[in-house]
Amino acid sequence: MRSGRRVKRLLLSAFAASVFLLLTGCWDRLEIEERAIVLGVSVDNAPPGAAKRESEISHTAEGFPVPDVNMIRVTLQIALPGKIPLGPGESGGGGKGSEQTVWVVGTEGHTVDDAIMNLQQQISGRLFFGHLRVIVVSEDVARLGMQNINDYFHRNPEVRRMAWMMISKGSAEQVMRASPELERVPALYLMSTMDNAVKLGKFPENYVGMYWSNSAKRGQEGYLPYVELKKMQNIEVKGMAYFKDDKLQGTTKPFQVAAYMSIKGMNPAGYRGVVKIGGAADSVMIYATSRRSTIKVRVQDGEPIVNVAIFTEINLEEKINEQFTINDSASLVQIEEQNKRSLLRETEALIRQMQEKGSDIFGFGEYVRAKKPGYWNARIGSKNKWQRAFKELRVEVEVNSKIRRVGMKAK
Amino acid sequence: MKQAKRITTVQVAAIMTSTIIGVGVLPIPLFAVRGAGSGAPLVTLLGAAVAFVGLFLITRLGMRFPDQSIVQYGEVVIGKWLSWIGSIGVIGFFAILTSLTAREFGEVVITSVLTETPLEVTVIVMLMLAAISTRNDITTFAYIHLFYFPLLLGPALLIVALSLKNADLINLQPIWGNSHEGMLASVLTIASLFQGSFIVTTVIPAMREPRKAMIASVVGLVIAGGMYVMIVAATLGVFGSEETKNLLWPTLELAKATSLPANVLERLDAAFLAVWVTAVFTTLFSSYYLAVKELSKLFRLQDHKLFSFFLLPAVFSMAMVPYNILHMYEIIQNVGRIGLFVTIAYPGLLLVVAILRKKRGEPSEKRSAG
Amino acid sequence: MAVKGIMFLFGRRKRRRSSGDNGEYPRIPAERLNDAAVDGDLERVVRQIRGVLGENDDFTIRRFLVFGRYPAAMFFYPNMIDMTTLNSEILKPLMYGPPHAERLPENGEELWDFLLESTLYHSDVRSETLVAKVVSDLLRGQTAVIIEGVAQALLLGTRAIEKRSIDQPATEQVIRGPREGFIELLSTNISLIRYRLQTPDLRVKTMEVGRRSQSKVAICYMHGITNPELVKEITRRLDLIDVDAILDSGYLEQFIEDNQMSPFPQVQYTERPDKVVANLLEGRVALIVDGSPLALVVPTVFSQFYQTVEDYTERFLMMSAIRWARLIALVFSLVFPSLYVAIISFNPELIPTEFAVAVAGGRAGVPFPAIVEVLVIEISMEVLREATIRLPQQVGGALSIVGVLVVGQAAVAAGFASPITVVIIALTTIGSFATPAYNAALALRLLRFPLIVLAGIFGLYGVMIGLILIANHLLSLKSFGVPYLSPLVPGSPQGMKDLFLRGPFWWMSTRPDFLHPSDKTRISDRTVEELKKPPNNVLEPADIENTRKR
Repeated sequence: MRSGRRVKRLLLSAFAASVFLLLTGCWDRLEIEERAIVLGVSVDNAPPGAAKRESEISHTAEGFPVPDVNMIRVTLQIALPGKIPLGPGESGGGGKGSEQTVWVVGTEGHTVDDAIMNLQQQISGRLFFGHLRVIVVSEDVARLGMQNINDYFHRNPEVRRMAWMMISKGSAEQVMRASPELERVPALYLMSTMDNAVKLGKFPENYVGMYWSNSAKRGQEGYLPYVELKKMQNIEVKGMAYFKDDKLQGTTKPFQVAAYMSIKGMNPAGYRGVVKIGGAADSVMIYATSRRSTIKVRVQDGEPIVNVAIFTEINLEEKINEQFTINDSASLVQIEEQNKRSLLRETEALIRQMQEKGSDIFGFGEYVRAKKPGYWNARIGSKNKWQRAFKELRVEVEVNSKIRRVGMKAK
Repeated sequence: MKQAKRITTVQVAAIMTSTIIGVGVLPIPLFAVRGAGSGAPLVTLLGAAVAFVGLFLITRLGMRFPDQSIVQYGEVVIGKWLSWIGSIGVIGFFAILTSLTAREFGEVVITSVLTETPLEVTVIVMLMLAAISTRNDITTFAYIHLFYFPLLLGPALLIVALSLKNADLINLQPIWGNSHEGMLASVLTIASLFQGSFIVTTVIPAMREPRKAMIASVVGLVIAGGMYVMIVAATLGVFGSEETKNLLWPTLELAKATSLPANVLERLDAAFLAVWVTAVFTTLFSSYYLAVKELSKLFRLQDHKLFSFFLLPAVFSMAMVPYNILHMYEIIQNVGRIGLFVTIAYPGLLLVVAILRKKRGEPSEKRSAG
Repeated sequence: MAVKGIMFLFGRRKRRRSSGDNGEYPRIPAERLNDAAVDGDLERVVRQIRGVLGENDDFTIRRFLVFGRYPAAMFFYPNMIDMTTLNSEILKPLMYGPPHAERLPENGEELWDFLLESTLYHSDVRSETLVAKVVSDLLRGQTAVIIEGVAQALLLGTRAIEKRSIDQPATEQVIRGPREGFIELLSTNISLIRYRLQTPDLRVKTMEVGRRSQSKVAICYMHGITNPELVKEITRRLDLIDVDAILDSGYLEQFIEDNQMSPFPQVQYTERPDKVVANLLEGRVALIVDGSPLALVVPTVFSQFYQTVEDYTERFLMMSAIRWARLIALVFSLVFPSLYVAIISFNPELIPTEFAVAVAGGRAGVPFPAIVEVLVIEISMEVLREATIRLPQQVGGALSIVGVLVVGQAAVAAGFASPITVVIIALTTIGSFATPAYNAALALRLLRFPLIVLAGIFGLYGVMIGLILIANHLLSLKSFGVPYLSPLVPGSPQGMKDLFLRGPFWWMSTRPDFLHPSDKTRISDRTVEELKKPPNNVLEPADIENTRKR
């Protein structure tokens, strides 16, 4: 009896459940091919007169509450599902004449969300940011402030923290429209450019999430890679773009990235350097294999002093001419000394440059906060105050380096 | 009325841990960081210590009355009418806790994964799951907790381990934090996340060896507290205290910033959230079970199954009370702090009165004397 | 709790049984004969037996004179007995009488003793006085002889049922291990077990179940190992069964399992005698039904369904790895399609970007949502599987190739399914075949469908909800009080050694404790000690050289 009732109840509830489900349906189901998978986003300043061209989508023509904000142009790189073949490419030739695999569309708006909604109005599939890998912001926009861009991407749950955000020299849209030959999908090429730069030691690992974390810290500022589109549709990492709060302050040269990474002791190390020994022609190329640094803070006479001790291990990679030989350790010591001097010069110059701009991308302030909380709480306490204090900060740099290997050649 | 004594000490520890660890993992770094910045792990530890006071009291009481739960010995200790008020308070509080847990998890799911699905559906699904499961007896209750125990620790430990390479020790220093305003409030909020440990009162009467209840409680609390501290430390280490303050669910964001080696899964947030359903389920299950079981004891019923679905509409409508997500968190923090009275002050009172009036559990008190 | 539930379930059957006693279903043949006894009146007994069995054309009554003097009748079913034996060992001596006999017996009593002591060349002889019993033995294939003036019937064991030879077990093949499988005949099956367990502790109790089929059920257990309470409970549950026929052990299974509503099997079946013996030695009870080549083993826990005999015959390291492969296959067969649906339709951000874009490309032309696509292919896969089982073996192979290769390829080419879906479904199906226990694989295969539907509604969240429901169900299941997920839950460190890994034998020196055996030791400590000592290198070349020189 009881068993029978159980069967009946089971059937009844199964029936009820299925009716319920059929009536309500699957709210969030959205097939992968129905999504417009956004792979890259670029943000530029809009050309003049954009406000007039804008359709009234998220607001009326006069209705935008912050009229003094410049309009921006947002360009999206969207994957075209049918065009990207499954599995390894069939034709060995590949490359030339390959079809467009992405669709690059852009539009203008007052804010990022406004622009994206304007764009959504023109695109059938729902824009899906789950695979957003690259965000390129033009230098001009970054100088005006990144607040709005950061907020939008921070708030959107689909956006990953492992995306790369970069500042482009010149138009960011051009970077989005670039179609490099190596990768089927341009945005993925951009991404792998940065990932490989990290692996080769050309740039510190600095995903957008880390940039956000760094910018938020009271004793540190954020920085982003600074890139430029080259002629062959390739992208060059031109250095670091450093910020103060959310405004771009300036950019560094690529070799200064090496100095930055030395100060922070970041590995792997990958930059090459030229060391002159004696005469102008007697130079060698060296490269660092690993770096270590210790940053210490002490308070002296009521002022904090930061001490940076850098140690690099280097290998000899190239000799420019055969005029001199390197076959004893004494000659290597000479190179070491030269290298120390040049590295010291570079790092001090970089620190000075940052101090002039008041942008503490090294996070010295965080060291002060962490190691000398008493001083920090009494004298600093806020980001603004640190930005002022950083300009006056005394930083001592000590450099030490050792050559370990000279390659396969004995001389 | 005598229950079968089937639950082992290990099972009780597992019940404790999996009850405590719940949806609270997602916002706990935020709660902790609000109080003391880089001192967040310390705040978490203090919260666990406060929670331990309550746990100690309730376990002590349970060992004093090894065959009864709080509803039953409450009557013995302070009389029928006073204890009725207390019991209703306990039951009501856990019913509210159930509804808020379901609501909170519903909000997380709606915000991050199923943005179009109505909130009511995700909440009712979770509650139904818990309600169906409460129809089991206490042995199965213990089995369920034991079974999900590794699923609880595994993903969290994985994320902590994977995020270590991005963590920076500087973010954790100074360990006592830079400012201490609001620290007390944070400690209390975090202590309230441990309130699930109250389940021990329902479990002790079914324990094989009630005198080991204290060890089990402490082990359970230490595992859960250790895990909370680890998660807070990992989040803080990766994001830094200021960024953590910007994030509604820092732990989820941590999962987002982590990818499995070799890019098997590129981001773990949705997967983490999916696995985390089990953790939320065990918490919901415990608080719901506590409410249902104690309610049936209050009315001296043999079978608690009657209340499983009887309570559901009430719990569900309570879950729908907060207007928005920020309002919900305000309610959660307030309810949590009020709940500390229920879970610490009331057992404390009972214990003091029981000691003063020399009341003890009847038949098998000899075993629990030590 | 659980016991109460069982009582409840059995109570229903009990009521039906009592209604049977009221005469609704006549108890055959005992009731028609009441308490009629063999009393020396041959004609009356012949009449009675013929009254019950006589309408059958395959029933034979052979009248003859014992020693040419006493009228007698022989009753048998010629198709069920060995005629040669009957003729030469029974009928012939009965008619001729022993050549060495000095005198033939005078009266009934004397005759009886004489027949037993010096006439019959047959060992299996019993006496019986109740006609009803005689009839039931006749039905079993015995031969009865009734002699005028003798108040007892001779029952001669002449049963010879045609049987197939002992064969390789068809569904549980192993590479390393015995090649024998059970056959339909109970006596052969018991002999297969008994020659593997030559100990007085092996106990076989038989009882008859089935009102009309009177199927013989043998309860086998190890005295001194199996918990006596378990045997008592099994006997009780069997006693309560009142059904008209038990045609296979599968019928029995459904009457003794704890939860009939569950998709998961709570009784294990096997056609391997060695497996039965291994289970008996762990403290389980085996049930063998006459007419079924599949023995039942209770109590059963989930882990048994992915373990095989071979796990124990091969080296433990390899088999632990293979067991993992089987576990993965098990998980595959349950969750793979639903995970696929959830990721494709809800969380494509989880998979690597390159792959996501490629998947989107593969799906671009498919008109249906992923859930419909997966469901359609899954269902057709099930149809195909069923068709392959039903078809004769010669055609089956061809069909499966046609089905898998041609249909799959064509479905992709026609834009009906995306290639990745086909890959997923193929993996799932293969995974479900890797599970050794067919009935457990079936349960998981069935549960896959609700999971797919849940995945289609709530994505990963739904999959998780479904899995929690399944896990909670598994956790609440019990087989004769043993929690279904033992030894995982409730944790038993001893049992864990044979759960995900197959520990070496010296690790598993005690029997699984969740079965609460009376005798726990499997391997004596001395052996374990001995195994841990450094080996004695008798043939160490250097040593041998040395001794030779000396």
